[in-house]
Amino acid sequence: MILALESSCDETAAAVADGGRLLSSVVASQAELHAPYGGVVPEVASRRHLELCVPVVERALSEAGVSLDEIDAIAVTEGPGLIGALLVGLASAKALAYARRLPLIPVGHLHGHVASMYLEPDPLEPPFLLLLASGGHTVLAEVDDHGPDFHVIGRTLDDAAGEAFDKGARLLGLGYPGGAALERLAASGDPDAHPFPVSMVGRPGLDLSFSGLKTSLRTAVSAAPDLDAVRADLAAGYQRAIVASLVGRTMEAVAASGRDTLAVVGGVAANGVLRHELDHACSQRGIRLAVAPLAL
Amino acid sequence: MLTLSLDTATDVATACLTEDGAVLAESMSRGRSTAAQRLLADVHGLFGSARREPSELDAIVAGTGPGTFTGLRIGLASARALGFALAVPVYGVGTLDALLAGDGVDVACIDARRGEVFCRGSGIETCALTPEALAARLPEGALVTGDGAIRYRDRLPGARVPNDVSPLHVPWARHHATLRELWGAADPQYVRAPDADRVLTARAAS
Ligand SMILES: [Zn+2]
Repeated sequence: MILALESSCDETAAAVADGGRLLSSVVASQAELHAPYGGVVPEVASRRHLELCVPVVERALSEAGVSLDEIDAIAVTEGPGLIGALLVGLASAKALAYARRLPLIPVGHLHGHVASMYLEPDPLEPPFLLLLASGGHTVLAEVDDHGPDFHVIGRTLDDAAGEAFDKGARLLGLGYPGGAALERLAASGDPDAHPFPVSMVGRPGLDLSFSGLKTSLRTAVSAAPDLDAVRADLAAGYQRAIVASLVGRTMEAVAASGRDTLAVVGGVAANGVLRHELDHACSQRGIRLAVAPLAL
Repeated sequence: MLTLSLDTATDVATACLTEDGAVLAESMSRGRSTAAQRLLADVHGLFGSARREPSELDAIVAGTGPGTFTGLRIGLASARALGFALAVPVYGVGTLDALLAGDGVDVACIDARRGEVFCRGSGIETCALTPEALAARLPEGALVTGDGAIRYRDRLPGARVPNDVSPLHVPWARHHATLRELWGAADPQYVRAPDADRVLTARAAS
């Protein structure tokens, strides 16, 4: 039975797992705390992690119905992430392990995302191709086993996909973080009214890029004589370009890697249009699609 | 009563095991941020040399700063997690108070970076000041200690600052253990708001 901590960005999280069975997962989000700044402020995040670490651990244990006596190891995110934020979780985990004479298992942040595929009730066994798309990362990786040595074959060169959604939402005046609000608004817009360029797809390599798209949106917003009249159309076009880029690149990666299974992890997978497009692209190609539970 | 005390708010990390006021073992590690990260290794050494076990602890006391934000948090996070895991209470004592507990010290002075010091003592409540502003408030001949006093000794005329290697400049964790009347919550004293807050305030004012 493992107690795990994560504090690499703006969420303080703890979970208890027994093999592939997740007994509890407590995530204290700081999104509201950072909203006034329009982005995650490392010092603000670190301060909050210190306040939340022990309470979140306590809650994870109580929701799992286990005591610290039953824990066999402590796992913790060692990075990458905001260094000051990581150090709070690391110090807490080290102290828990030391006090209870338990082994400490440092886990790479990306490896943690990958490992969410191994959880019950529908664990996915490697090999598979992974698309990780969240506010912090956009990564395509070949995963061959449970170990930490998965092979990253593509990644964003600038903004993460989730960041592109959030920044787009801010440009459209939808607040921060506004990825979900952008999707809601896009539902009532016409994506063809204002098409945006789909970056990278068809170009050599498997990397992605979203900053040019963001610039196009900024230009379109400032050029709009009446933003209210075109806001939904812009949201729809912008969203479609992000999704097309993600799906296009992912399908190129599937082809390049020869895998027949695609695993999708990360908050951006909550986007309905992306899910739909991935579903469509995968069934066309006979690819099995597995999406991690959205809370992970 | 077996007490573990520690302070990682400055570039010198200290830890101490005390039993009923008597020091059993004490450690001190230097090095910006690395010292704080070595904390548990130091604590482990203390238990080893005192031939005691973490499970025997009755209380933990951590330095609450002010000092470097990251170092301070490493100490407090460690102390809180140790306290939770061992089911013992965790208290806090100000790092400036630990310095003030040194023999004859009038004003404690910690390097706050950006040309300022965190200081306390002789009627000065904990605050961040430039060395000149502190100097203006010091009683003549005041004994001023801490890494801020070392750094700015030339800008504190009239103050007595011990030589750089004096133990009076170190917030020894033995003081945290013995200053029982000051045991309070193990909450950080940042003194300064995050930089981003100043940007927000400035934006709101303009
Ligand atoms: Zn992540």
